[in-house]
Amino acid sequence: RTIYFNQPLEEQTFLKNEISTGKYNFLTFLPLFLFEQFRKVFNIFFLIICILQQIPGISPTGKYTTIVPLVFILLVAAIKEIVEDYKRHRADDAVNNRKVEVFRDGTFVELAWTQVVVGDIVKVVSGKFFPADLILLSSSEPQAMCYIETANLDGETNLKIRQGIPATSEIQSSEDLLQLHGMIECESPNRHLYSFNGSIKLNEDRLLPLGPDQILLRGAMLRNTKWIFGVVVYTGHESKLMKNANRAPLKMSNVDRTTNMQIWFLMAVLIVISLASAIGSEVWKKETTQRWYLNDTGTGPKGFFMELLTFIILYNNLVPISLLVTLEVVKFIQAIFINSDLDMYFEPTDTPAMARTSNLNEELGQVKYIFSDKTGTLTENIMEFKKCSVAGIKYGEGISERPGCYFYDESFVENLQTKYVQSNYVHEFTTMMSVCHTVVPEKEGNFRYQSSSPDENAIVKAARNLGYVFCVRTPTHVVVRCQGKDESYEVLNVLEFSSTRKRMSVIVRAPDGRIILMCKGADNVIFERLSEKSQFKFETENHLRDYARDGLRTLCFAQTELNEAAYKKWNDTVYYEASTAVVDRDKKLSDAYEAIEKNLFLLGTSAIEDKLQQGVPETIATLSAADIKIWVLTGDKQETAINIAYSSQLVNNDMSLVILNDSTLEKTKQTMEEAICDIRKELTCLEEAPETSKFALIVTGSTLQHALHKELEETFLDLALSCKAVVCCRVSPIQKAMIVELVKKNCNAITLAIGDGANDVSMIQAAHVGVGISGQEGLQAANSSDYSIAQFAFLGKLLLVHGAWNYNRLTKCILFSFYKNICLYLIELWFAFYNGFSGQILFDRWTISFYNVFFTALPPFTLGLFERTCSSKVMLKHPQLYSISQSASKYNAKVFWAMFANATVHSLMLFYIPMYSMKSEIAFSSGKTGGYLFLGNFVYTFTVITVCLKAGLESGTWTILTHIAVWGSFAIWLIFFGIYSHIFSILPLGSEMLGQADNVMASPVFWLGLILVPPMVLFRDLLWKVFRRRFQKSVVERVQELEVEHIDPQKTILDGARQSLSERAHLLRNMFGMGRNEDRDRSSSLRSLQDANHGYAFSQEEGGVVSQSQLIRQYNTSNERGSSY
Amino acid sequence: VMEKEKRHIPDNTAFKQQSMPAWSPIISAKSALPVFFIISLAFVPIGVVLLVTSQSVVEHQHDYTDCVSVENPGVPCGLLRMNQSQMTQPCTCILNITLETSMEGNVYMYYGLTNFFQNHRRYVKSRDDDQLIGQHKSSAQVYSCAPYHLAVENGTLRTIAPCGAIANSLFNDTFTLSQGDIEVPFLRTGIAWPTDKSAKFNNPPPTTDLEEAFKIYAKPPNWQKPVTFLDRNNTDNNGYENEAFIVWMRPAAFPHFRKPYGRLNRLGSEYNNGLPSGQYKVTINYNFPVTSFGGRKRIILSTTTWMGGKNNFLGIAYITFGTICFFGGLVLTAVHLHARNTREFYLHKCLFVAQQNCHN
Repeated sequence: RTIYFNQPLEEQTFLKNEISTGKYNFLTFLPLFLFEQFRKVFNIFFLIICILQQIPGISPTGKYTTIVPLVFILLVAAIKEIVEDYKRHRADDAVNNRKVEVFRDGTFVELAWTQVVVGDIVKVVSGKFFPADLILLSSSEPQAMCYIETANLDGETNLKIRQGIPATSEIQSSEDLLQLHGMIECESPNRHLYSFNGSIKLNEDRLLPLGPDQILLRGAMLRNTKWIFGVVVYTGHESKLMKNANRAPLKMSNVDRTTNMQIWFLMAVLIVISLASAIGSEVWKKETTQRWYLNDTGTGPKGFFMELLTFIILYNNLVPISLLVTLEVVKFIQAIFINSDLDMYFEPTDTPAMARTSNLNEELGQVKYIFSDKTGTLTENIMEFKKCSVAGIKYGEGISERPGCYFYDESFVENLQTKYVQSNYVHEFTTMMSVCHTVVPEKEGNFRYQSSSPDENAIVKAARNLGYVFCVRTPTHVVVRCQGKDESYEVLNVLEFSSTRKRMSVIVRAPDGRIILMCKGADNVIFERLSEKSQFKFETENHLRDYARDGLRTLCFAQTELNEAAYKKWNDTVYYEASTAVVDRDKKLSDAYEAIEKNLFLLGTSAIEDKLQQGVPETIATLSAADIKIWVLTGDKQETAINIAYSSQLVNNDMSLVILNDSTLEKTKQTMEEAICDIRKELTCLEEAPETSKFALIVTGSTLQHALHKELEETFLDLALSCKAVVCCRVSPIQKAMIVELVKKNCNAITLAIGDGANDVSMIQAAHVGVGISGQEGLQAANSSDYSIAQFAFLGKLLLVHGAWNYNRLTKCILFSFYKNICLYLIELWFAFYNGFSGQILFDRWTISFYNVFFTALPPFTLGLFERTCSSKVMLKHPQLYSISQSASKYNAKVFWAMFANATVHSLMLFYIPMYSMKSEIAFSSGKTGGYLFLGNFVYTFTVITVCLKAGLESGTWTILTHIAVWGSFAIWLIFFGIYSHIFSILPLGSEMLGQADNVMASPVFWLGLILVPPMVLFRDLLWKVFRRRFQKSVVERVQELEVEHIDPQKTILDGARQSLSERAHLLRNMFGMGRNEDRDRSSSLRSLQDANHGYAFSQEEGGVVSQSQLIRQYNTSNERGSSY
Repeated sequence: VMEKEKRHIPDNTAFKQQSMPAWSPIISAKSALPVFFIISLAFVPIGVVLLVTSQSVVEHQHDYTDCVSVENPGVPCGLLRMNQSQMTQPCTCILNITLETSMEGNVYMYYGLTNFFQNHRRYVKSRDDDQLIGQHKSSAQVYSCAPYHLAVENGTLRTIAPCGAIANSLFNDTFTLSQGDIEVPFLRTGIAWPTDKSAKFNNPPPTTDLEEAFKIYAKPPNWQKPVTFLDRNNTDNNGYENEAFIVWMRPAAFPHFRKPYGRLNRLGSEYNNGLPSGQYKVTINYNFPVTSFGGRKRIILSTTTWMGGKNNFLGIAYITFGTICFFGGLVLTAVHLHARNTREFYLHKCLFVAQQNCHN
């Protein structure tokens, strides 16, 4: 595509910079909604019933008795859709209406994102998101450089550098922009995040090439750069980010799938009993043809077919018509409960939890695997200098009391100021902190620092807080203001960081003229290069281990003084040759560095905290106790990932790490098989189930590529599943999704993915349940998630409380919905035996069709909304209770058929007891008799009250609303019955029902039946409940009871666990199995497969546009910085 | 600013925080016990009362399907009615009834039919309630009655009144009960639901002149006389408002059913205390054919109680269920006592374990 910028006359029509994730708009709502609805077999079924009912003569229930409830139900569904879609539109609007400065008519005007069009020049300031994909023209920094944070796109913590082409870098003001005209040619919109090809033509100049270094993608954020100018190239849904965002796939919960299955079962039952009835009808017709009082009874094949249709219509309500809409509404309100949970409201960012879909509420109760992102999910993405060890002494063990300053140790400061022997080391350490880095300072009141490495940033900031203020960087010098006096260090060389070198060094000339090489890096790398005479090795090593155990990121600091001549020789020959080499420059440079980085003297080590979000270790422990496996999938480095695994208690020192870091398929296979073998060996000797394995698997992205290969997939899964924790590092977004898919496909377990960035989107969409971390600026993950929460810690409540509750509620609601329909509509079948299988209904047609929408509509709601086995406190305290919903033991085919059988028995009783009560037919003392509908109304009333009471019996918790639902439903029926029995006098409707209520209620048999039938029907259910509680007490029930008796359930559960080895006991044992000491003792003697217990971690951009040494040479912060006007 | 900052904070209401006061009943042996005993305590006596009440009902049923014609001795009326051509031929038969005990109070006469599917779907819907409420309707408007919606009468195609299969098959046997030569007076009114009589069945206008009102209609094909002849003596009980007709028009629930025929007129007669014991004779005008489809016909005399007719089932059901509940209660008591013992044992054990833990 060709884009002309700054040429307003040119007609350019591209997509608007507006995103819309809503499903509908005004015009498309009706057709799309109907399409969506009638895609469901369920609705089609009822539509067919509606159509069948229009055929004259076959419907036993009139023409409109299905269409009215169906329309009502679709209306409710439509209202729900509208409300949900409205919310989506509101969220879109929030993004669409973000403001950005756009260059229009010679000045910058602030416009909403939607008004940005392709070809616009926009100015983005620090900390703001790019409104569209931009071509970087110039920035406030030298040579049109800028930092961007792409955590939202790829999850990497370090900042990236983008640089505009030199031809545009001089544009610094509106005046310059006015002079600028030109054209950009670039490829058509695509989804490749890391590639871009184009060219730019400025003011009739020649074409200049543009590449990925010049592009700023929507979704990224400008950091540490005052402003940039950019030309908009892709907007709205054409931006690379949006191209990557697949529309969220329609997810279906496990319970929904089971329910669908059961609906099919019911339809099959429906067909079977319809067929049986139709055959019965044929048999009855054959019996005698002499029933003169009946006109045409419809014999022959056509008659048979018509009878069949009649019966299908008659029994159609076995499938509860209101089920889907009941579920939708229940889930919708459950989602409101999630949204309004104050425990999941995060005050600092004013973010409540948010259910973006309500389809999966109950799925939250069944999660078995959690796939978590690291950055921004487990961690806050804030690095803090927490502790250090200098010359064998630990500092910063206490808690810093100074706000905004995480490292403050009185003795450290004292040592800095006094002149002990120790103080010299401390001074040198702090100096190194403020000198040995590639950070650029920025004066903004206090000094702020910009760097692509958050670690270095933290170190420099800590040095600043200690009074060693790094204040100026010129191309050749750094100035450190130390105790009020500026000390200038000449930077001679920067020996760059790379992840293979695991260290970086600077060679500086100190103010006193000495040449010092300062080197910081991974402990093992530094220790290899220490001089024989270097002290404190032992102490430091101990401290390093301590830090590593706490999950802190460590860097060792070492330095050495270089002899002037030796340095000169190195610099002029070895280094010079390497730096000017044409081939293999990187290799040669690193060899050159190697040559001088030796004979170091150890100063100490820093410990930086990659700050975990609040409550992460506790939450992980709780979730593990609930038998949920947690896998960490991060784009970050192995070291970082391991650190976090330690600090979040996912991995502890008792566990052995299995590290997969092989570059070929064969080697990967070999390592994996060996590891499996080892684990098996350990397990057999411990006689332990894999659940309690003490292994943690660490996999890197490149190995994962092999491990996920078809061939090795299974081996990998075997290995991963036999480990307690799995950490995958350096994984690409697509690999994250692949891992999730792998587990999803093979484990038959519910997976949950949680993440915060755009790189997590694919994983979030792949998992059964996707959870996004919201509240940070990036909304990609949250927007494509099913649930968004502000903190990882809220996952505990979301799953253990809301998930378990919702599962319990929903399954009860579904089972009850099935139950009540089977109960009522099977009665029609029993009646068919007495009416010659003619399809006659026992009840009035409208009372039948309102059964679901009015008379028994409320109890499923109370079950679905207010049912609660244990309080939320108890649920969180005993994560083991989660296993009830997790194992789907309350809702499966077995439970369904048991319910079906129960409902069948109930319907038999509900039909036959009234039938025999009315045997003499004289229902009044006045000798009058009833009729079929008279009996029908008996049965119907008994059924409504029985079914409502059954709902009450199923309710473990009675709120005021439960009372309203149970007694209210019955009252609604009685009121309706009363009104409906008189309506024929006013409207041509309900002629059969005329006077029924008066006569039914005048009959003593009715009242006697009303007292007798419901208790009789529910007798078994009640007795069963009592016996079950007595002889087969579930964990929940036990906890409930003990809660009532104020006994700490923990002990009882533990005690109970020891008594038997039943399934329950097994469950209980798992709960507290961790407490068994003998295992722990033995596990400590386990051989670690590979000792990865180092705390080293460091993030910095590598191989970027501008190398670190080039970068720092370009800054001169002693001068005024460029500004845009 | 604070307000704005916290604008997303959820409402702290009991509903939204799911903290509504709730009652969580624990259905244990202990809490269910009283329920069972209370039910058994209440139901058994009720059942006894019901059974006694039901037993006090005197009921006499007599099948007269195969009774023999008086006009053609030796020929059962049922056989005669098998033949379409002999349908209008009169057939009377006599049934002798002996009342061993007197029937005190109100006595009702019922006719009972067996294997007659009044509840058949096509039969039930074959009527037009608008017509029956007194609206003049054309044959097209009463299509639900088809094929009994129009007929040729006096050379013209007319709407049938009352239309439909139910009306067409109106039960048309008549009974006369007599003791010796004295006819026992039975009223054929007061047998239909008052609501039906007042609101559901009305003659069409002009209501003062039934002949005029039904002039344009044809009689149902099986009827021998038009609807205006249902009760010539009582204008309030004629036409659609005839109670015997109304009773027939309410379809029975089962193929074995009974419908009220009449009630003993106790006022101003020697039967003011009911029917004394003795020999009675029922003279039956046998018109209604049932033998063709294997149906049976009965005549029933019954007294009633406050709970209606003879109904042993309810009493037995109450007593049975009450007894079951009683035994259920006993079992629960056993369970509860057992549970309490184990609970105590259990608590002791808990304490013991706790102490052990302390020592370790």
